[in-house]
Amino acid sequence: MFKRLTCFLLAFALAFSFSLTPLQAFEPSPEDRELLNKIEKDTLQYFTRFSDKVTGLTKDSSRTGSPSSVAATGFALAAYAIGGSRGWISQDYAYTRILTTLQTLRHKAAHQKGFFYHFLDARTGERVWGSEASSIDTALAVAGALLAARYYPGTEIEKLAREIYERVNWKWMMNNSDFICMGWTPESKFLPYYWDSYNELMILVALSIGSPTLPVPPGAWERWLRPEGDYNGHKIIYASTGSLFTYQFSHAYIDFRNLDDRGINFFENSREATLANREYSMSFSGQYKGYSESSWGLSASVGPGGYKAYGGKPGGGLQDGTIAPYATLSSIVFTPEFSTQAARFFYDSYQKELYGNFGFKDAFNLDKGWWANEYLGIDQGITLLMLENYLNGEIVWKKFMGLPAIIKWIELTGLERRSASTAKN
Amino acid sequence: MLAVIVPLFLINLVALAGLYFGIWSKVLETFSNEQTLNDLVTASRMVEYEQARHPVASQDFSSLSFFKQTEKLSLRQREVFKGILDETNRSLLWKFLLLLFFLAWGTIFISHKIAGPLFRFSKAFNEVEKGDYRSRVNLRKLDEGHPVAQEFNEAMEKTDHLLSNLKALAQEKDAPQAVAKIKEKLSTVQTSANV
Repeated sequence: MFKRLTCFLLAFALAFSFSLTPLQAFEPSPEDRELLNKIEKDTLQYFTRFSDKVTGLTKDSSRTGSPSSVAATGFALAAYAIGGSRGWISQDYAYTRILTTLQTLRHKAAHQKGFFYHFLDARTGERVWGSEASSIDTALAVAGALLAARYYPGTEIEKLAREIYERVNWKWMMNNSDFICMGWTPESKFLPYYWDSYNELMILVALSIGSPTLPVPPGAWERWLRPEGDYNGHKIIYASTGSLFTYQFSHAYIDFRNLDDRGINFFENSREATLANREYSMSFSGQYKGYSESSWGLSASVGPGGYKAYGGKPGGGLQDGTIAPYATLSSIVFTPEFSTQAARFFYDSYQKELYGNFGFKDAFNLDKGWWANEYLGIDQGITLLMLENYLNGEIVWKKFMGLPAIIKWIELTGLERRSASTAKN
Repeated sequence: MLAVIVPLFLINLVALAGLYFGIWSKVLETFSNEQTLNDLVTASRMVEYEQARHPVASQDFSSLSFFKQTEKLSLRQREVFKGILDETNRSLLWKFLLLLFFLAWGTIFISHKIAGPLFRFSKAFNEVEKGDYRSRVNLRKLDEGHPVAQEFNEAMEKTDHLLSNLKALAQEKDAPQAVAKIKEKLSTVQTSANV
């Protein structure tokens, strides 16, 4: 009896400590919270400003001449739903924008077996720039659609989102292989690249296994490589580029905190990767004046020499002094204190050059006196979703984790839901 | 001869190179047009996205290294230009070599037309210096300097004739009469020792 009581009390204590997840462990000051809310609200404006008024398709970049991106459009769907729920845009406006966009995706946007082409003409939905029917970008679009559907249950939005999801032939994209192919073009058919190793692929594989109509076999989850690496004592399942966004995209929608993948917790993994990324850039602080304890964030972004997959170690470790504030902010669920500190530093120090009507611009490089003059849709999207999870009661996670597709994915792949007693803060 | 050919050849070569780089610099400048630049940046960005997913090795020294205008371009933009540049270079190479051959041939041909006559004049002056007044300058049909050679030959003809007459008079047995004739012949000749 005493033993049982002890176990109960222990479980209760651990459950209580589990409720103090990393998101609550650090409490930003009211001023910092206000700043983070402002950034999220301003970031939302990217999607209202750079989405086509007729089709709803969202531009890949704020730069003149940029086509629309399917992944950015997916983030826009999520952004409108969040913006509407927060009262930053009216519910009517949010609903109409989501509905218009979903109708375009369902009936007009070019696709191959449900996989949208990476880049589309924002006015017509036609494929542009010879882009591929992209598996990851389709997954990000579907994720945004499904999240929006959770905000508007029982509506036309939910119906269209389901139709778009169920239309995707995920199995076909495996091309009779063990992995999901990165894409397909009418000219070259399947690309010679597959999602075969850890990166942003988890959201893609989860949705493809959870599909109610044309899923991939559950074994597809186990097959992709989980390469182990180490930097500064941080042991990480790492992505080849070491870019921060690879540790973030899947986590925008899926709450990995309580999911155990045969001993790996990918939330913890991303936290370690973020800390390693920060320490990696700080190790170059003597060489590049842009790097410091409050100024970090190596991730794929535009830079003085074009768009590059900047990143830390383990991984490619490509860096030239360029910092991507979106990546720093999007790490906020993993490293709330460091990310908040950096957001405050970026805003206070470089507001004039780096902050605009739509939040932080994509990147900067102090050593080369270079400041990005554009925003990228997907980078705006990940910023908004991560801030929403952090600032608004993990609402995105809560809604997305309730999707039947996600529940199915967890059940079929044998992912273990961590109990409170095993959850690690 | 080499003193003429080599500089001319080098001048031609520099002129050709200047023309080549000048044309390409102009081509690059046209890309500063806003619309063109936007299209180029967008096209490049599309590929840069893919390269970010499949990182490639960094670029070392290349044909673009000669063009400072490309320094501010992104990696992908540089690749686009390099592709155009390399392809154009390949197609231009044999034409360039053919042009160089003709230029070299033309340079040598023209220099021969000038250097050849100068050599012949030099040889004639040497012979005159040695006392051979039978020397004449005979130029080829396409050589430069025919009028000068003609005047030179006429002058040499007169001098040769005068000296021949003087030599003939010097052989006469009537010395006083011969001296008088020599004096008469030399009376029209202007010299430094005009006595």
